Amino acid sequence: MYLPDFEYYAPDSIAEACQLLSQFGAKAKVLAGGTDMVVKMKNELLAPEVVVSVKNLEQLKKIEYVAGKGVCVGALCTHNDLVKSDVLKERYPSVANAARQMANNQVRNRGTVGGNISNAVPSADLPPIFIALNATAKLVGTKGERTVAMEDLFTGPGKTVMAQDELIAEVFIPDQKMTGSNYIKFGLRKSGALAVVGVAVAVQVENGVIKDARVALGAVAATPVRAKKTEEFLKGKNATDDVLAEAGVIASGECKPISDIRASAEYRTDLVRIFTKRALRKAVDEGHV
Amino acid sequence: MSSFVVDKDGIKRYAVTVNVNGSDYTKVIKANTLLVNLLRDDLDLTGTKRGCELGDCGCCTVMLDGNPVNACLVLAIDCDGREITTIEGIQDGEDLDIVQEKFIEHAGFQCGFCTPGMIVSSRALLNENPSPTEYEVREAIAGNLCRCTGYVNIVAAVLDAAENL
Amino acid sequence: MKQDYSYVGKSVDRNDSYGKTTGHAQYTADLKFPGMLYGKLIRSTIAHGRIKSIDTSEAEKLNGVKAIITAKDVPSMKWGLSPARFDENIFCIDKVRYHGDKIGAVCAVDEETVYKALKLIKVEYEELPAVFTWQDAAKEGAPQIFEEYPGNLNTEIHHHFGDVDAALKDAYYVRTDKFQGQRTYHAFIENHASAAYWDGDRAFLYSSCQSVHYVQYHLCRVLGMKMGNLTVRQTNVGAGFGGKLDPTGLDFAAVILSKITGQPVKMWYDHAETFLNGRGRHPMTMELTTGVDKNGKILAHKFDCVLEGGAYTGLGIASSYYAGSLLGVLYLIDNYKFDCRRYVTNLPPCGAQRGHGQPQPRFAFEHHIDLVGEAIGVDPIDMRLINARKGNSITTAGYEVKSYNLVGANKMARDASGWTEKRGKMGVGRGIGVGNGGFVTGAGFCQYRTDYPHSVGMVKIFDDGTRAYVYSNAVDIGQGSDTVLMQMAAEAMGYPYERCQMVTGDTDLSTLDFGAYASRQTLMAGWAVKRAGAEVKKKVLAKACEMLKASGRIKEGFGYLDGPLTPEDLDCVEGIVFVKQEPAVKLTFEEVARKYFVDHGVLLGRGWYHPGKLGGNHKGAAVGTSPAYSSATQVAEVQVDMETGQIECVDTWDVHDSGTIINPKLFHGQVHGAFYMGVGETIWEEVKFDKKTGKLLNGNFAEYRLPTALDMPPVESLTLDDSYEPNGPYGLKEVGEGATTPTMGAVANAIYDAMGVSMTELPITYEKVWRALRDKKASGK
Repeated sequence: MYLPDFEYYAPDSIAEACQLLSQFGAKAKVLAGGTDMVVKMKNELLAPEVVVSVKNLEQLKKIEYVAGKGVCVGALCTHNDLVKSDVLKERYPSVANAARQMANNQVRNRGTVGGNISNAVPSADLPPIFIALNATAKLVGTKGERTVAMEDLFTGPGKTVMAQDELIAEVFIPDQKMTGSNYIKFGLRKSGALAVVGVAVAVQVENGVIKDARVALGAVAATPVRAKKTEEFLKGKNATDDVLAEAGVIASGECKPISDIRASAEYRTDLVRIFTKRALRKAVDEGHV
Repeated sequence: MSSFVVDKDGIKRYAVTVNVNGSDYTKVIKANTLLVNLLRDDLDLTGTKRGCELGDCGCCTVMLDGNPVNACLVLAIDCDGREITTIEGIQDGEDLDIVQEKFIEHAGFQCGFCTPGMIVSSRALLNENPSPTEYEVREAIAGNLCRCTGYVNIVAAVLDAAENL
Repeated sequence: MKQDYSYVGKSVDRNDSYGKTTGHAQYTADLKFPGMLYGKLIRSTIAHGRIKSIDTSEAEKLNGVKAIITAKDVPSMKWGLSPARFDENIFCIDKVRYHGDKIGAVCAVDEETVYKALKLIKVEYEELPAVFTWQDAAKEGAPQIFEEYPGNLNTEIHHHFGDVDAALKDAYYVRTDKFQGQRTYHAFIENHASAAYWDGDRAFLYSSCQSVHYVQYHLCRVLGMKMGNLTVRQTNVGAGFGGKLDPTGLDFAAVILSKITGQPVKMWYDHAETFLNGRGRHPMTMELTTGVDKNGKILAHKFDCVLEGGAYTGLGIASSYYAGSLLGVLYLIDNYKFDCRRYVTNLPPCGAQRGHGQPQPRFAFEHHIDLVGEAIGVDPIDMRLINARKGNSITTAGYEVKSYNLVGANKMARDASGWTEKRGKMGVGRGIGVGNGGFVTGAGFCQYRTDYPHSVGMVKIFDDGTRAYVYSNAVDIGQGSDTVLMQMAAEAMGYPYERCQMVTGDTDLSTLDFGAYASRQTLMAGWAVKRAGAEVKKKVLAKACEMLKASGRIKEGFGYLDGPLTPEDLDCVEGIVFVKQEPAVKLTFEEVARKYFVDHGVLLGRGWYHPGKLGGNHKGAAVGTSPAYSSATQVAEVQVDMETGQIECVDTWDVHDSGTIINPKLFHGQVHGAFYMGVGETIWEEVKFDKKTGKLLNGNFAEYRLPTALDMPPVESLTLDDSYEPNGPYGLKEVGEGATTPTMGAVANAIYDAMGVSMTELPITYEKVWRALRDKKASGK
């Protein structure tokens, strides 16, 4: 296999990167870890004339806790940076665990948070847990920066609200009242498989009562989606097995999966029911796992 | 940015310096050159294999600044100024690394085609985690497919190497 | 019968250990020659059609392109791996028969130029209707893929031993079940590659193949070359499993392109092309009917099997026979009827994959017999014990079986796995299952018609005796045949294994062997090198006798000698020649060998093997007859998620009746790998095509899912101590393929035990399990 020729740039600043993206418009693509983009280029699904490598943007490679505000995850952190992050281990192991389930170790060493999000693949592993935790993305472009809620970022398979000249700079997980969160990925083998269904939940439980809940589903619609009816149903209920099972049933009614080479829509729908129930149970019982 | 010359078709050819197995190499390459091809074609380090070329099989695994990556998915130019360890850099002179010794002792290979990547992944794991659990070993090599061994003797070899580091 | 050996039975390290663990081992794609060009095949982009025109003009203009060839530039003689059906051309002449069929080849100065040239080649087709299932191929009025196969029927087999209908009438219980297998492929990690160059009228080809001899034979036949003018060589081979036995388009094209350009040419497949090259497992549609008495003894069995063959025959006729020919080796079945059809379709050709035609029929039978046993209240292992063949017997089809301890294998697997405590007692979602299998140890016949011996071996001792070169063109595709052949040669010579070296992978320099298939090499090449080693030893002992006598150290009537010292009074072990009665009187092998060289020139030993006339007289008996048969029992334990259908194989046991084991650590490696392939095929693996276009959908390892290290269970590999095969050198028989044949049955039976629904269609995916459980719930059973 081979890659077609392209012009290559490796800017030293975010501003310069945005400037290049603005200058070349649709001809240009951002290259971060390359684990998705190089594959697409080899498979002739993508042939950018200009490749903007963001490898030099060191400032986007940090994971930090900002006191009183939340966790800031740089867009160029690799999945394994998340897996190994002490900040995440302490505050949101559920995010580290979601990252740990992506592809395989070599890909986790290259694939970045920004890439996983901006490729907008419906089965991506990070968006559901970020949505469940009410995270936002900071986008930077030639006209300045803006913050978009993770759940509003995606508009379709491979499509986001990002402008041609915008980069994802960071993901911000705000401090919150949620007491537990969890992401379950269901793939067709234990490693190196895309999610057939991914369910992320976050819950605020007090004295056995669910005060608040967020449920996000991956791989079962054109974009990661929130299961809002399920969330509404859960609020104020006791976290009993029956309630969580009922929540699963409601969630399965909120997804719109397709049938493809990996699974039928019917199967995915039922998996949403099962894993919503299971992810809720874990988040309720075990916290942010 | 690396310096470049423009060839007669208008394609830029960049001078890229990579440190491979402890030595610096400067090569003139196109931007679309993949790390796996730089290693195999320009440096004659053919221990790094080309298999699926899509990041699924792991037979091109090398360490990039210590972390195992698929060389088939990395642009060589993105490695300018960075350190790469290939299978040829695992042994210390004439002495085999403990991981290599244990692969031999346990017959952790058959056809040998996945073996370079498998050993690089295993060594990278032990560099970071000298006493892994069996699950951690399996997780670390789950991106290295082996059709011959069922991983049974490979897992045994890595666990044994960990005990004898 | 077992003796103490120096090397046989020892887990010596593989001879290729250093190269393979350091990255220094070379594979075909690693080769470089001065002035080398790079080449790839031009492939069809439709499934069925006539080629109207091929326009290569734009590609030829591309700077760096050196040659482009199509059917008009190459010989038109048809070939095939088996002479039963020669139906393949180097490049398609009139028609393309599958999406990915070979149309031509390009070579250029570098890889990138080759890819660019391929994009510039325009092929115009007159598209024809295509068929992608045997059911469609068999329909009245279906598009005709080959003129020579009316109705697309490629072969049919009708075997009938005894009287099945009469026996079924008398049976206590009769049951019929239907099963469906899937298309899988070998999934070796090294893609095929070839490299060729010429020197005058001599061509040299490096091929990543399983048989240098077959590649040499078929290329010479089609290219009209004398075999002495084409040398086929190989480096290390990144596994084969049956998928590198047929010569590929790369082999032909590399030789031809190299001749045209006058430069070395290296050619390679991208990974997806290894799927298009095909030759993997045939999907089989199977119907089984068995009649038993009330104890579970099989009275009669009827097996109806249809194979979807893909576009060409390759080894497909043998695959068809193998589907039915080995059942009667495993089990005692007096009345047996086997009806089989193979259809061609517009998909890549199917062929031989580890276990050849047998694994899917084994899956079907092993699950079916559990269902029979369940209906009459007999435990699965008891069902197998009642019906298992015993050694020194002759099958209904006339095959002679020497050693055979399937009974022992079942009992050992039962005890090791805790079967009795576990079966039916582990609760919903957890299950344990058993499966039996086995294989031939080499086929009785060459794949083309010849009176050549099957294996020829030679040992040459280096001038001063410090190294023994073991010659055999048996192919080490990873199974470790070089290592075990040297162990056997060293044992036979009484020479240190560590000082042996293989001379192999070269049709000029080494000696004939048919190659790596049908689990034949350890026995057949083993006999050849063992005999060669024995001849060396004989010469060494004779020379040593002469030397000892001349030295005056041995005098006639020396107490332990009745007469003059003879070679029979001597032995040689691990490089020391000694008087058996007085071991202190000794010489080194090296000094004796050196003296031999001084007196006579090269010290050589030669050996060869031909299986001779084996059992079976019916049409097709050639596929299944063998000098020795292995048998095996596997037990698998699985966990099924009763909500999602996810299956986890948690533990497995294998007992392989394999005769003497030459190298235990390599032996167990074969069992592990065989189980791995079997469990992959049971749960995860299937090659998929677009139903409308026949285009490959999952030609990659993301969607063709081999189990990863996290999916693969531990395997406890056990052996039977008293297994000894008189027809094998040192009492050995096969392991490589036989160990994959019980797996699908064992895992499927464990899944049945866990979930209570019979799964009859491979692969048993999570979704199929989910659906079956849902349907069961809905039906209220």
